[in-house]
Amino acid sequence: MNMEFGWKPEQEEYRRRIRQALDDLLPADWYEKWVPQSYACDENVEFSRQFCAGLAERGLLVRHWPKEFGGEGGEDWEQFILAEEMKGAGEPRGGQYMNVNWIGPTLMRHGSEAQRAEHLPRLARGDTVWCQGFSEPGAGTDLAALRTRAERRGDVYVINGSKIWTSYARRADFCFLLARTGTGRKEISVFLLPMNTPGVSVTSFPGLTKDGHLNEVFFSDVQVPVTARVGAEGAGWQIITDALSYERVGVPRYHVGLAIIDHAIEQLKAEGRYDDPVMQARAGLVVAKFEAARMLTYLVVDQRVKRLPATTDANVARVTALDAVNDLMNFLADFVPDCLAGGHPLLEEYYRINVPAGITAGTYELQLDLIAQRGLGLPRG
Amino acid sequence: MDYQLNEDQAALVAAVQAILRDHDSVPQSARLDFCHFNGDLQHLLSEGGFLDAGRDLGPLEAALVVFEAARAPVLVEAGASALVVPQVLPGEGLAGPVALVTGDDLGKAHRNLPIARTALVDLGDDVAVVELAPGDVVPVESILAYPYGRFAVPPDLSRARRLAGAGPALRQWWRVALATEFAGAAEAATVFTVDYVKQRHVFGKPVGTFQAVQHRLAQCHQIAMGVRYLAFRAAWSGQARDADIAVCYAQAHAQKLIFDLHQFNGAMGVTNEHLLHFWTYRLRALQAEAGGAHGAALRIAGHLWGGGPALRAAEV
Repeated sequence: MNMEFGWKPEQEEYRRRIRQALDDLLPADWYEKWVPQSYACDENVEFSRQFCAGLAERGLLVRHWPKEFGGEGGEDWEQFILAEEMKGAGEPRGGQYMNVNWIGPTLMRHGSEAQRAEHLPRLARGDTVWCQGFSEPGAGTDLAALRTRAERRGDVYVINGSKIWTSYARRADFCFLLARTGTGRKEISVFLLPMNTPGVSVTSFPGLTKDGHLNEVFFSDVQVPVTARVGAEGAGWQIITDALSYERVGVPRYHVGLAIIDHAIEQLKAEGRYDDPVMQARAGLVVAKFEAARMLTYLVVDQRVKRLPATTDANVARVTALDAVNDLMNFLADFVPDCLAGGHPLLEEYYRINVPAGITAGTYELQLDLIAQRGLGLPRG
Repeated sequence: MDYQLNEDQAALVAAVQAILRDHDSVPQSARLDFCHFNGDLQHLLSEGGFLDAGRDLGPLEAALVVFEAARAPVLVEAGASALVVPQVLPGEGLAGPVALVTGDDLGKAHRNLPIARTALVDLGDDVAVVELAPGDVVPVESILAYPYGRFAVPPDLSRARRLAGAGPALRQWWRVALATEFAGAAEAATVFTVDYVKQRHVFGKPVGTFQAVQHRLAQCHQIAMGVRYLAFRAAWSGQARDADIAVCYAQAHAQKLIFDLHQFNGAMGVTNEHLLHFWTYRLRALQAEAGGAHGAALRIAGHLWGGGPALRAAEV
């Protein structure tokens, strides 16, 4: 082993295979029509069933999973190379990236034999859509404040409450649901809930992001069998901590950001506005910030590959990426402002999907709290 | 992709750290100075072969040495000797310390010139090698944490040894060295400040308990880490683009680092007896060198999307 920052030939070959699969599986108008309308909209979510099945047939969807669960035991870098290429292509997996990254691995670790047998083959086939039932109107960053309740009555739980910001909920087959099963703050359990269960309803509302992300899910006397609970009653907090640790690397935002700034520069060149040194310098700095995010993200992946304990380096990487995203959004607003008013549809989609980037998956400020207190050892106030 | 040092690299870093631990204290007599060059430490690192790491082991190993040296409050000249010289004069050594000088600004004061035995002068396409004798350089007073001086008489470059075509390599590796030194100083200044805000109390509790302080220190840590790995990648890849990216990210964040770190050290950070300025005023010195953040950003744009007038101006 040697400190080095390049790819092995087999990793480059793997990336080439993924790119070939993208060429084969995406429709010809993918970038013109499909990407701009959001990977969470109904049409794209439905397309993900076909696309992910195609990836699965090529052995590319869950290659990093253990062989016993349908993978090939590939290294974690492969999962990340897949994520880079998928994000760079507008995430044709739709919400199924969650299946691959953390729902499947969480079930491998915490699911019952029956749950594994029911769900893992479907996840590995790529034809199942899940949604994430975590956030509530009063519980986002402070997830332990959630109020949706699951009350045990014999062999079933009766669930009442609501979830919000639930991407893909309209088309999801299952919900990975967190519900309160006790009075203690962290007495929470995880349920695998079919979305067609009586008492489940979904409504959508408009917002700054595009269609498909802003849904509210209501649970009205929803009955699920006890066998749908993952792990022991009240063990949900630990399970969800584990689940999110699979996601600690986060999204390869640099991959998308660098593609988007290329599109912006293309437009500026076409309009004869490239020779502006102020604009060029701003663009160069955006690139430098995304490259910093890349290097810090790779650092975290490398730590995971080596099975090193989690550190706040993941939070550092996320904050660095968010800084770059914010810079790019401002670059677009300054130099390609028509992207928000009928201009380049890919730029618009990038801007809109990133409006909540600093809020989702742990706010920017929470990341800074964690770096300061757990990473730098600063005392809590 | 592998961020873990191999055994040789880890041994190299451990050896440098051991030497620095024994020699990086600022002596009492220099505690009120703006910078303190430790000639004994320079000699030890040089004689120990650590500044030859770039020639003997590789540029990444040289960057590891430069990074460690830059974390010390006392100054040694490592960047030019370890990272630049082996690239512009492969297979040869130069008498160090070495100063890097922009040919267009020969009349101005240059970083490290008062301690240097050799100056490499960037002439655009070529590089001039100027051997320095006592009396050739007049030190100037500066609050910057490097020794600065100007030539007593501008050197006669027509008589100096000329390295034809070495200009681009000089500038590229100057930027790698600069970013690496920046990373080391930024990390050390952040660590120093984190320690200070744990000890210093205001309103009955440590300064470091306030979220406004915590968040900004977390960002300083984030920036220092980003510069570090960008600099290491630039050393590893030998690509001009990576050097520009590293130096751009570093220099663009100098303002934030210097402001925040001084804010959290309060009035103590204004005094010379507090060590902070030994690092922060290195960052300030490096902020605009070798083209600055604006020039680096223009060069990045040129690498990626082609140049226009702006890029050509930035390349000079």
